[in-house]
Amino acid sequence: MNSSFVIPLEGRIDSNNASEVEKNIDQLRKGKESLPLILDASGLEYISSAGLRVLLHLKKTAPDMTITEVSSEVYDILDMTGFTEMMKVEKAFRQISIDGCEEIGRGANGSVYRIDQDNIVKVYRDSDALEEIRHEREVARLALILGIPTAISYDVVRVGDSYGSVFELLNATSFSKILAREPDRMDWVVKEYIELLRTIHGTIVPEGKLPDMKETVRSWVLFLKDYLPEDSWQKLLSLVEAVPEDHHMIHGDYHTKNVMVQNEEVLLIDMDTLAAGHPIFELASMYNAFIGFSELDPGVIVEFQGFDFATSRLFWDRVLAEYLGTAWEKRIRDVEDKARIIGYTRMIRRLIRRNGLHTEQGQKEIAYYKKELVKLLETTDTLLFAGAEFKTEAKKEHLPLVLAFIDQYLEGTDASSKTRNQMHLIAEEIFVNITEYAYREKPGDVILKMELSEDGMKARLTFMDQGIAYNPLEKEDPDLTLGAEERPIGGLGIYLTRKQADELSYEYKNGSNVLSVIKHL
Amino acid sequence: MTIQTQKQEKQLIVFLEGRLDTNSSPELEEYLKSRIDEIRELVFDFEHLEYISSAGLRVLLAAQKQMNRQGSMIVRNVSEPIREIFDVTGFCDILTIEA
Repeated sequence: MNSSFVIPLEGRIDSNNASEVEKNIDQLRKGKESLPLILDASGLEYISSAGLRVLLHLKKTAPDMTITEVSSEVYDILDMTGFTEMMKVEKAFRQISIDGCEEIGRGANGSVYRIDQDNIVKVYRDSDALEEIRHEREVARLALILGIPTAISYDVVRVGDSYGSVFELLNATSFSKILAREPDRMDWVVKEYIELLRTIHGTIVPEGKLPDMKETVRSWVLFLKDYLPEDSWQKLLSLVEAVPEDHHMIHGDYHTKNVMVQNEEVLLIDMDTLAAGHPIFELASMYNAFIGFSELDPGVIVEFQGFDFATSRLFWDRVLAEYLGTAWEKRIRDVEDKARIIGYTRMIRRLIRRNGLHTEQGQKEIAYYKKELVKLLETTDTLLFAGAEFKTEAKKEHLPLVLAFIDQYLEGTDASSKTRNQMHLIAEEIFVNITEYAYREKPGDVILKMELSEDGMKARLTFMDQGIAYNPLEKEDPDLTLGAEERPIGGLGIYLTRKQADELSYEYKNGSNVLSVIKHL
Repeated sequence: MTIQTQKQEKQLIVFLEGRLDTNSSPELEEYLKSRIDEIRELVFDFEHLEYISSAGLRVLLAAQKQMNRQGSMIVRNVSEPIREIFDVTGFCDILTIEA
């Protein structure tokens, strides 16, 4: 900013004074042509087409010029005429104060305050945050278009020396506040929290629209190279490298302060960390938020979320169980360990970057997380896991994806290869049946949900589609006594499913065919 | 799935490897269509076949029907999981299965 040249624009620029204004500017710029030009429009009230031509002429000799402090009225003119696309135009910002405002959230880049009943402001820590604000606005808009319920800021304001973006949130309450004040609503919070998480993780992000989370995590790992034992570090790197490319959305900071409820509607906020990637990276940041940050000092969670560590632990365990479709302790701890590996990696890097190596407290924390991380790396061979739900278009060529999901979900169970084969057969026959019959008129999606019993010995597969209502269990068994000539070709799929399954049930519910299969492992 | 064949005059041996399922069965069907019209003895060797679904059974039944008219068909080296499917569906009575 020091090495630029500022010229103020005043009053009205129209056909009466345009040529005079142009002459003045040229005069002022003499000898300063090499400096980046800034036109300070704080005093500019109106600009006509003659005035716009002055700007066009100027841009020829000062292609990088910026117009700053533009009033809303002038901004509208520049916007309508396409000038905001041609040159850098920065709006003048309303100044607001957050003195005495309640802080309702705190994230990586700033804090969120409630200005009044219906409005909140996110104040950015970085004083030069316009780029961040633009990014967050853009990703929030993208998320909204992709079907994620979120709030988009309607104004950018000045807060002291920083910038803030303002959101309208009518009577909104965060999930953290509900958990702190109404613990008996935990069931409801878990259910809604997971439903929104599944919506996020089920959303495909158009390529290149959001940062690739795996890249980010890889950079954390590279940062730790000199701080971990060589073999541990190598293992960590290979675990991250082995995570496949994934175009599904992740929020990146999905804790209960970032989920709001407004008139019964659940909304996601704080979108600046939105990324694309494997859900293990999401679970890692969730682990840190609920457990990791507070492992050495349970007081941290109270300050951060407003509820105590026991509540946080219970909530995290229940969320994980729900997300994984099982109360099977082994599975829950297994996936938690994977999340901890990435969570601790991030934590150690963060502590080191915050001078942790040079304070007694920091050293203690780094030593703890490092010890845990090294231990976990000895016992973990993959970061992959499958959540309970998998959604795909009902197309035959997607069958391998369905089977891969089932295999991934059964990882770590006692299911023999014979049982897996039988589950493949069940899944194939049902999936194909849905593509051929339920969606014979119009295409659609299939949701496959998997659950494991609390002892890990029984699996349930539930197929849901929104095609034509059809109960395959009403289909009569084929006549197996007929010879080859009399036997009709086909019609064995459902029969095979019935024979391989231990239990089968069907219902038509809320416009969906729901076919559920239980298989003993 | 991979298909390999060995032909000797009017005999055709078809070796299948991998999975005979919804996505690979059309390939086998297509393959047989152009090759078995002149065949008197069709042999399927399932030593390396790991998996079969109803889509695979369809192709086998269609082949059996055709071979009933023009000769014979044998399925050999059937692995345990596939034999189970043949048992459950009554295919063990329709097909000629050699141990």
